[in-house]
Amino acid sequence: MAGALDGVRILDLSWGIAGPLGVLLLAEQGADVIKVEPPGGDPFRAYAGSHVWNRSRRSVTVDLKSDAGREAFGRLADSADVLVESFRPGVMDRLGVGYDVLHAACPRLIYASVPAYPPGHRFADRPGYDALVQASAGQQFEQPGWRMGPIFLHMPMPSMGTVFLVPSGILAALIARETTGRGQHVTTSLLAGVFLYTTQIWQQVEHASAGYHDLMGKSYPPGIHQQMIFECANREFVHASVMSGLPPKRSQDEILGLEDAPDPFTFMSMPPEERAVINARRREAFKHHDRAELVAEFQANNHAIEPVITMEEALSAPHPQLAANGMVAEVDDAELGRTTQIGVPINLLGTPGAIRGGQPGVGEHNAEIWGELGYSDDALSKISGVV
Amino acid sequence: MHALEGVLLLDFGQYLAGPFGPMIIGDLGADVIKVEPVAGDGMRIGKPFVGCQRGKRDIAVNLKDPAGLDVAYKLIERADIVHHNMTAGVANKLGIGYDDCKRINPDIVYCNTWAYGYDGPLAHFGGLDPLYQAATGLEYEAGAVRSGNEPLYYRFGMTDTANAMLSVVGCLAALYHQRKTGQGQMLWTSLLDGGAVFASDAMLVDGQPVERPTLDKEQRGIDALYRLYETQDGWLQIAAFRDADFAALCDALALGHLRDDPRFVDMRSRHEHRDPLAAELEPRFRTRTAVSWSLALDDAGVPNEIPLDPKAGEAMLYDADNVAAGLTAEYEHPVLGRLRQFGQLIDFSETPGRIGGPPPLTGQHTRDIMEWLGYDGVRIDELREAGVVYEPDEHYRERFML
Repeated sequence: MAGALDGVRILDLSWGIAGPLGVLLLAEQGADVIKVEPPGGDPFRAYAGSHVWNRSRRSVTVDLKSDAGREAFGRLADSADVLVESFRPGVMDRLGVGYDVLHAACPRLIYASVPAYPPGHRFADRPGYDALVQASAGQQFEQPGWRMGPIFLHMPMPSMGTVFLVPSGILAALIARETTGRGQHVTTSLLAGVFLYTTQIWQQVEHASAGYHDLMGKSYPPGIHQQMIFECANREFVHASVMSGLPPKRSQDEILGLEDAPDPFTFMSMPPEERAVINARRREAFKHHDRAELVAEFQANNHAIEPVITMEEALSAPHPQLAANGMVAEVDDAELGRTTQIGVPINLLGTPGAIRGGQPGVGEHNAEIWGELGYSDDALSKISGVV
Repeated sequence: MHALEGVLLLDFGQYLAGPFGPMIIGDLGADVIKVEPVAGDGMRIGKPFVGCQRGKRDIAVNLKDPAGLDVAYKLIERADIVHHNMTAGVANKLGIGYDDCKRINPDIVYCNTWAYGYDGPLAHFGGLDPLYQAATGLEYEAGAVRSGNEPLYYRFGMTDTANAMLSVVGCLAALYHQRKTGQGQMLWTSLLDGGAVFASDAMLVDGQPVERPTLDKEQRGIDALYRLYETQDGWLQIAAFRDADFAALCDALALGHLRDDPRFVDMRSRHEHRDPLAAELEPRFRTRTAVSWSLALDDAGVPNEIPLDPKAGEAMLYDADNVAAGLTAEYEHPVLGRLRQFGQLIDFSETPGRIGGPPPLTGQHTRDIMEWLGYDGVRIDELREAGVVYEPDEHYRERFML
């Protein structure tokens, strides 16, 4: 069946998370993505997640430092609609394949750059590993943890923001090109990805009370959502929710065997000291319940609740709704064999997306793609840098 | 011209995961109309609301009244995208389900952001962000539960934002397809699936988990060379796992002997021996200030940063380079006054984005929009007096907080 982005060709020169995973969201809606790697391959392939982030695409290698490689790359760019790169500002220019050069040669090409920091920023030349951006942009300080001071965020949060900005920018530029007929330079950054997650927490407001800022403000211990995490029997945890959108049958406290407890909304508006007293009773009650039984009982009574599990558990004993959403997928990976990975998270019902295969080998499609562009097998080693 | 100029999106959503996506689409140049109940969006309570409504025009209308539904239908006729986050069946019952919209406007792109999903055992449940951080392993890993800690909730609105942004990508892909083929369609995304994207490095091989990095009990990092170190006066993040960076780090710390230690000979063995390696580095970092070490490591070419205290955003929102890069925006809000938050997160060389203004008041543009739809002033007054539509009046501040 047709994909929404059939006929769109994307060259992905990016490394790491934000570029490859952002492009994946487009690949699995039909875009023809070619991973363009240096002769030795993308160095981030060493990381396990790379198998997921780089699936659903073909791979070619090209030696951009050779004349033959650059010439062939120009022909490949001319066949493409979009190029994505994630080097520090200036690196692509020095390789002779910067925006100005390619835009002049291929005016319809959309050129997407994804550095760590925006061009012109005083940090633009600093290293851009995810955790460095977490630090410099305040995320590590903004998250209260189990000790005072900044903590390392396990989830690569700046990258995981940029992941969505990359395909959004590319698609907006593709839509604009339908009117203008021209490509353009689209730039986002890991720093922009940090800002994406500040909508509830970073606002400077002229006429706002302390209460305005305290709502969703940083606190120790961490705020109201954190306080809805409970330990059940056998040191297993659940996260209960204050709302499910459904009328509750029995209350959470009834199910737990607690009497005289306040309703959830009264509870949320109580001073922290009073909440602490009630929470201590609840905490004790949860410990006397088996997690699986309690979750089933809560859900049967229309209370939203989830076990706190690892993502590996969510994939292996599949979370029933993740499975129903098609988010637990079997993928054959040439290197690893039979794998289970996340599925396609955007559901277009008229043009359903699909996984188009596991991560390709380095340069696996050299003969195929350079051949399509008219290069003979003899020219391959000079272009691809692979003997 | 803006990238999405001429695109009309109707936002029937409330709370966060509905409205945030349309706001971002609006920043790209689309005309976004928030279609709000006359009693107001259920989340008009401050920061969370303000953070996801800027740039929209607002019409307040009671969809449960046939005359109100008729206003909505006139809008749907003219729209490119309908977007909302209502739970199962609610939109259909109101008469703005996909089939209703498609009948009025066959090419429409129709997007529903869900909590759990469109169909399945938990699809009928609503829910908030924490549930999906729990279900996809985020809280387990963030808290370092396997080291004996409790799970930890990320306070950045993670899955709300992911769901909203997946819907942006989905809407724009569907819109592109519609421009190419004339075919509209329905699409959906969910908070739960958004959480899974964050944990997308998790994988099984033949049913067995593939190891991925885990956080230590003190939440300092995932490797001796990719973590925070405590200095004399604060913390320092380093990223020195590559061979050259490790060697330079050892020299800068005057721990040159570690370079020759067989336990630390390559990336893999350094990771395997991360605890003894960290134990060597920790006392050295404690002998000088964070700034002193950061400058020394810069000189040596070792990637490092001092964690910034953003002071509830002030340090980032007023940073001169962030401002120059367009990453901040400021506007006047009729109730809150000067309001600053993040700005344009994507830069376009030819079709720049734009921010249409502050978050609107409930019904602020009711009259303008209805006039555009062809209603005359007398009819608008009738519908307003009957409570079918609303526009701000002298009681606004008692009725709505924002």
